[in-house]
Amino acid sequence: MISSELKQVILKQLNLDDFDLQDETTAPEVPGWDSLNHINIVLAVEAHFKVKFKSYELLRLKCVGDFQKLVDSKLQK
Amino acid sequence: MSEFNFKPQETSTLWKRWQLNSQKFPNRDAIIHWVAGEEPVRITFKNIIDTAKQFSIKIKEHGIKPGEVCATIIRHNQFFYPLYLGISRTGALPAVLAFPNPRLHPDKFRQGLEGMAKRSGLDYILTERELEPLIKPLIEKPGSTIKAIYFPLEWDISGEINSTIDNEVEETATKIKDSDPVLLQHSSGTTGLQKPVVLSHRAILNHVKNLGGALKISENDKVASWLPLYHDFGLIAAFHIPLAYGIPLVQIDPFQWVLAPVILLEAITKEKATLSFSPNFAYNVLSEKIDEEELEGIDLSSMRMIVNAAEPIRHDSHEKFLHRFTKYGFPSTALGCLYGMAEVTLGATLTEPGKLIPEISVDRNELSRGVMKLADNDSVVRVCVSSGRPIGECDLKIVDENRKDIQDGLVGEVAVTSISMFDGYRNYPEKTAEVVEDKWYFSGDYGFRWQGEYYIIGRKKDIIIVAGKNIYPEDIEDVMNQVDGVIPGRTIAFGEEDVDMGTEFVSVIAETKVETDEEKNKVRMNILKAGMSIDIVVHKVYLVPPRWLIKSSSGKPSRKANKERIIDKKDSQVWSR
Repeated sequence: MISSELKQVILKQLNLDDFDLQDETTAPEVPGWDSLNHINIVLAVEAHFKVKFKSYELLRLKCVGDFQKLVDSKLQK
Repeated sequence: MSEFNFKPQETSTLWKRWQLNSQKFPNRDAIIHWVAGEEPVRITFKNIIDTAKQFSIKIKEHGIKPGEVCATIIRHNQFFYPLYLGISRTGALPAVLAFPNPRLHPDKFRQGLEGMAKRSGLDYILTERELEPLIKPLIEKPGSTIKAIYFPLEWDISGEINSTIDNEVEETATKIKDSDPVLLQHSSGTTGLQKPVVLSHRAILNHVKNLGGALKISENDKVASWLPLYHDFGLIAAFHIPLAYGIPLVQIDPFQWVLAPVILLEAITKEKATLSFSPNFAYNVLSEKIDEEELEGIDLSSMRMIVNAAEPIRHDSHEKFLHRFTKYGFPSTALGCLYGMAEVTLGATLTEPGKLIPEISVDRNELSRGVMKLADNDSVVRVCVSSGRPIGECDLKIVDENRKDIQDGLVGEVAVTSISMFDGYRNYPEKTAEVVEDKWYFSGDYGFRWQGEYYIIGRKKDIIIVAGKNIYPEDIEDVMNQVDGVIPGRTIAFGEEDVDMGTEFVSVIAETKVETDEEKNKVRMNILKAGMSIDIVVHKVYLVPPRWLIKSSSGKPSRKANKERIIDKKDSQVWSR
């Protein structure tokens, strides 16, 4: 399940007040989440959670749920 | 090793040129198909011809005839390249189209493809099975100009070559003349207003010689590129030029590159690539969006030239790139710039390889008045980056609004003539007549010439360029006019400078009758979703009250006047987010 913390970082980067982000939500379903914004979302998440992602880890992400799992793994949750 | 002496007259067609290369360099890599995290697939010049022959037989067996257009809609795949060559061998014309982004609404994709099929004359769609449900209704529709959809990646090309059909195809290939068309490309990427450009074998072969010569290509060169092949910059510069010269291309998946830009640097490092091509935004992305830890082991000292084109070139982007990558061995003289367009195959000008790009600091205010004046202490400075000098057998001039030559240092429209000029837009004579006069193509771009160098500074047309992709505002406005809460016919779309990314972003101004903040946020969300339906990200929305938009003399809202009004002035009636 997507944490409200990750959701807020993503929505803030996309300049959205609210959007129903679910585990299975993919980037093309979210207004503004294109490939260029994706780079900035990743950087914002890295800065917020003080973690670093490797490019190859990011290539494996298919949906927001995968992103949450990656963040959790970095935070060793 | 010395530069190639490329002789276009050696072969009359591209197929013959590719065959010649397979005989000269059978074991040399033609394509190094790059997939992140995997061993690359190496396709030699002999392999690509052998597989292309298999595909050409299948194409003939499927009834595709010389002169018919085969639109390919295929993602990054090692069999794409021989398929492309195989189509060419049969005398059919490949037209590479983009694979639809999932955000693109199916109806919008179909509408775009249908419009393109009618305008460009697409006869067949060669694609992946996944798109069958999307495309098949189009073909079954009464009056469809598309004859069939095929899935070439599922064709069995593993068996023995059927020599009878192979001989028939080869006989067809030998009859193709240098003046015959070889491919169809589109001068821009959006769905409603593409202009189809058909190019001949001779135009491409001459362009290979002239642009390749300007790039000073030698047998030591190796291209690394992430550019999509549906874009003329990728198709001509990164694909056709190396393939015709007989040097390798490391082709990276564009979708992977944009998610993990470091892939390009890894490919350059591992393959010791010497040439690359990218639109301006890529310089910002590479410079600022990759973590330092990921750059461990990167070595760019093999690079001879990375060429910036396809969107306005920004001095700051080059500065950022050098600042970041000089310590990784990137030579400052390896930055280069190109100016061109699909209508002249690709390139019109190029900066000199191995030399620093000429730049001049000019007075911004004078420039906006159409005069290039070198900056002094009182000037607000704009640094203009040269796009170089004309390549061989190509000429440029700067003209006024009456298409008369103007002197150096004055800003005017750029006109180009070239031996590799197109023969006109396919099925679009009225559009051709607008832009071609006495063998000169009038580009709609503004620039000036100074000391023999051409500087491109703006556009006459309202086209928006986001990350090298051309977007017509009309396409966006058409969907915005149907958005709930927006007054129909009272919207404009335009591009705003995206300083962070080194490109433009899309903004929309829409008149609305809604008044509360909550209602305006709903209208904004409707606008963002409408943009998504045509695969356009609207970055900024300005909502204004009824009758706010300034009309042009034609009675429609003026993009230029309203853009200036909204950016320059603070108006309490404007709600933006």
